[in-house]
Amino acid sequence: MPKIIIDGQSIVAKQGQTIIEAALDHGITIPHFCWHPALSVAGNCRMCLVQVGNQKKDSEGALQFMADGQPDVAWIPKMQIACATPVADGMVVDTAGKRTVDAQEAIMEFLLVNHPLDCPICDEAGQCKLQEYAFRHSRGKSRFDDEKVHKPKRVQLGPQIMFDGERCISCSRCIRFADEVAHQPVLTFVQRGDKVTIETFPGTTFDSPYSMNVIDICPVGALTSIDFRFRARVWEMSFTDSVCPGCARGCNIKIGVMNNEVLRVEPRTNMHVNTYWMCDYGRLTTPAAINDNRTDGPMIRRDGQLQSASWEEATAHAAAILKAARPQDVVVLGSAHASNEDNYALAQLASKVIKTANVDFIKHIDATFGDSQLRVPETAPNAIGAHAVGVAPGNGGYNLGQLAERIASGSVKVLVVLEDTLDSSSQRLAELAAGVDAMIVFSSKASVTAMQASVLFPAASFAESHGTFTNTMHRVQHFKPAVVTQENVRYMGMAMSRWDKFGAPNDRWTDGTRRNSRAAWRVIRDLAAALGTTWSWKSAEDVFADISQHVAAFQSMTYASLDANYGLVLGKGGQPDPVGTVYESHVLKPN
Amino acid sequence: MANVTTNIESERMTFWERIYLPEIARGLGLTLRQMFRPKFTRQYPEERWEPEGSYRGRPVLVQEEDGERCVACGLCSRVCPALAIEVRAAETDKEKERYPELFEINMLRCIYCGFCEEVCPEEAIVMSKDYELVFGSQDEGILGKEKLLIPVSQLQDRLEFLRQWR
Amino acid sequence: MDWIDFAIIVAKGGILVNAMLIAAAYMVLAERKIAAWIQNRIGPNRVGPWGLFQSFADVFKLYLKEDVVPAAADYRFHALAPVISIAVAITVYAVIPWSDAVEIGGRMISLTMAPDMNVALLVILAMTSVGVYGVALAGWSSNNKYSLMGGLRSSAQMISYELSMGLSIIGVVMIAGSLNLVDIIRGQSAGAWNVFYQPIAFIIFLVTALAETNRAPFDLPEAEPELVGGYHTEYSGMKFGLLYLAEYANMLASSAIMATLFLGGWDIIPFLDDATILGLEPGSLPLVLLQHGAFVGKSLLLVFVFIWIRWSLPRFRYDQLMNLGWKILLPLSLANIAVTGTVMLLLNR
Ligand code: SF4
Ligand code: SF4
Ligand code: SF4
Ligand code: SF4
Ligand code: FES
Repeated sequence: MPKIIIDGQSIVAKQGQTIIEAALDHGITIPHFCWHPALSVAGNCRMCLVQVGNQKKDSEGALQFMADGQPDVAWIPKMQIACATPVADGMVVDTAGKRTVDAQEAIMEFLLVNHPLDCPICDEAGQCKLQEYAFRHSRGKSRFDDEKVHKPKRVQLGPQIMFDGERCISCSRCIRFADEVAHQPVLTFVQRGDKVTIETFPGTTFDSPYSMNVIDICPVGALTSIDFRFRARVWEMSFTDSVCPGCARGCNIKIGVMNNEVLRVEPRTNMHVNTYWMCDYGRLTTPAAINDNRTDGPMIRRDGQLQSASWEEATAHAAAILKAARPQDVVVLGSAHASNEDNYALAQLASKVIKTANVDFIKHIDATFGDSQLRVPETAPNAIGAHAVGVAPGNGGYNLGQLAERIASGSVKVLVVLEDTLDSSSQRLAELAAGVDAMIVFSSKASVTAMQASVLFPAASFAESHGTFTNTMHRVQHFKPAVVTQENVRYMGMAMSRWDKFGAPNDRWTDGTRRNSRAAWRVIRDLAAALGTTWSWKSAEDVFADISQHVAAFQSMTYASLDANYGLVLGKGGQPDPVGTVYESHVLKPN
Repeated sequence: MANVTTNIESERMTFWERIYLPEIARGLGLTLRQMFRPKFTRQYPEERWEPEGSYRGRPVLVQEEDGERCVACGLCSRVCPALAIEVRAAETDKEKERYPELFEINMLRCIYCGFCEEVCPEEAIVMSKDYELVFGSQDEGILGKEKLLIPVSQLQDRLEFLRQWR
Repeated sequence: MDWIDFAIIVAKGGILVNAMLIAAAYMVLAERKIAAWIQNRIGPNRVGPWGLFQSFADVFKLYLKEDVVPAAADYRFHALAPVISIAVAITVYAVIPWSDAVEIGGRMISLTMAPDMNVALLVILAMTSVGVYGVALAGWSSNNKYSLMGGLRSSAQMISYELSMGLSIIGVVMIAGSLNLVDIIRGQSAGAWNVFYQPIAFIIFLVTALAETNRAPFDLPEAEPELVGGYHTEYSGMKFGLLYLAEYANMLASSAIMATLFLGGWDIIPFLDDATILGLEPGSLPLVLLQHGAFVGKSLLLVFVFIWIRWSLPRFRYDQLMNLGWKILLPLSLANIAVTGTVMLLLNR
């Protein structure tokens, strides 16, 4: 294990690490553009230049110190790039001395020579690494007063990516990403010197399912999202930690919200799950899943029509339906789309209140969706969790496979469906369900099944409530509310942008949709109360505490420990995996 | 502590000051004199006042031949202490890729601080000389682009004033 | 009393009430104008020439305004309070000796409603004490903490200053040997005005009169910075107008009383007998009219002093107010009585 000294701090580095990695492990960030822990080292931006040396030894091999007790160092005359210099025992590194600072300022001046500085137009502004370093590591003045080089702007590299040649600082992160992570080596530098720019090889386009990650890793605003372009500035959005519902991988994400509308989603580093990336599918569909086609306000079917009702009416109506039915005639379907909390509440309702054993949920498998990287064939986020909290046929109960026949034979009177749509299981099931006496549906989406309901409870989506998903690797992960409902103007500790926080009713930016929805576990609790069983849950955290108490696999898990450990694996609530060094490329981002 | 000198106001006053009446008389004398001084009231609707370039009236957007200067960077909106400005950006085919699709200043929120003008990287928003702001309703107080855009020729005074301080 | 006497009394009442209301309205205008001049402004100048009809516009506006009564207020007392205030203010006018009596058609007629009342001074003191009920009720019935505090301050202030006011008058009464205001004036018409015998009493009376009428620098009951509007915070429309008019009516009454007690009432020239100097028959109509003019003139001059003081002096703090009332004015007025008594005894008057 090499022992090195960085800025006077003694560090035990790992064999084979580079200086920048060793420093990062110990909380020192050396300025860098082209280095990224998940990519190969290119060493072409020169931002990470540091002074490197070795402590002098006398002829006996004893270390030499100066009069003030500081080690006497023989500096290497030329500065070294920290991203490509491996550590060696006895190495001394200076990342903040005069020479290093001078070098950083000189590099910044070079990088900005041909940079257009069109920050007012650039989407990256506010989270730009170049802006950040211009602020921290540059003199703030340029001596260059000639005409800047002009390069192609607004070049489409792929269906989702727009490239601006002038802003590019030629760090090659995007090229290496395409080669090494997306395995679609279509990007390359063309030209040379100050004319260098990036193109796709003729006849190719950068359309990998992971292509949009280059937007995140590009240190500047050279690569922008066609989907998002100019919709908001970073500081106008709030970013809330959440989990992607696109597939059972459960990539960690941040949800960017303005005016109660989800504008974009970006990956959040979690070394256990998705490292630094997420797929384009999740990125593009998650906002729409939260914003569009939602249920709003409880509904009751009267005279064959779904009509608005109050929560009390709807709950009373649903309770009356359940009271009138014999337990064995009721079928309860949980959901792989709903959180552990909602599924647990529903399983409790089925077993303790309705006392039916007919409990199951629909599995969503799409073999074409999975790949060898992040995407898995299981396209709902919480199948493992739903099963783990007890959504499974009980003793003598029948399962989903038998459901269609049972309905056809008329032995199903009441169907309770959580957060799912029957036509996703089979078209036949959906058609048969129309013949069931009554259907109680908790759904955040205005799906086919929701429209068939006798009582429809609009459930809060995963972006409107606290909750947990259990991913395909059995990791339980916590998500937080990013948008508000009509009832909750804000939650405790909620991330909110300045706009959303301080807007008054007559400000037009506060006119975003607030839906009349409630977390399913809450509605289920009220329904149980109407049927005579009282549960004391006040928050999703209470439900989760109940789960961790009663379900062995969730033992000793809390929201706080999930957050601190980037999720915990079922059955190993007490033994978290080491978190390691969490690298975020752009740290200027608000929230 | 022995040689602490008390320096309380009341202890430094003379007897006549403490008795207060002579001071009151002096005060009354002062106000009486003021009554006969010339008045500086301006008869407003008839006599109008033309402000200097340094005056901070309502903020407006600079309009050039080919449209607004503003690129909808949102900095004015961010810096505005009163949250008066709302900008929504959109893409155009012009050389400046970005323009404000919606630009609204809520004049009921604005405090005329001039921060928006100071922060604007494009010199696109400036304080005008317009001080006659009357609104019949809250909604009328929210000025959109049609009311905010003022041709650059009418804003020369202010632009020149600003150049002195760059 | 035949019907002519009755008609005369009704006519006098009508004249007095209307004159008082108009005077109060114009005092509001005067206040605004003087305030403006002191601040180097012009003041109201839009309604009528020199803004002369401004007061009527104001009153008209107050009439048209919505009368808002707070939901939690006691509406009966809320409505009663302004009535008490204005009624008390008007009552005082009945005993103020506006002019000497003239003989017309065999009847002695004077502008005073109750001339030659032998306890007139006591009536005035009693009435000013009742006046505080208007303010206290207004503050209490509004059910608003600021109003209540205004009302409380007002009662405390009135009680404290009433003592000194009453005691400061005693010197004058001792000299005149009567509580009848007409007698007090007669006592001054030939010789020197009381202000020369009783300068201390005059100053005490002036100060307490400011306090009793809630005028600056003693306007703590309506101190805007801390109490919003004080006792009239929750008043609007003409109810507010009445409270406002009562304040000005009280001011005029105080001025008139001060003129009576200290400035020789309707006496035109101090130290000398008016009738001899002007060569007019005593009790003749021209002389009485001139004297009436003098009385009104003196009162208005004092009103001006009231206004002038308001726009010159800052408001007292509450503890300063109490200190002044109890520790300075009260001992001073007692000393004044003692000195007056001693001197009178020595001079054997
Ligand atoms: S890339 Fe960064 S520095 Fe360059 S224009 Fe965009 S925000 Fe500004
Ligand atoms: S586009 Fe961005 S990531 Fe790619 S080389 Fe240029 S600066 Fe680097
Ligand atoms: S700061 Fe200037 S350029 Fe930016 S949005 Fe405001 S007015 Fe437009
Ligand atoms: S002048 Fe100040 S308050 Fe008004 S819009 Fe500009 S920044 Fe906001
Ligand atoms: S980060 Fe080391 S050269 Fe770019």
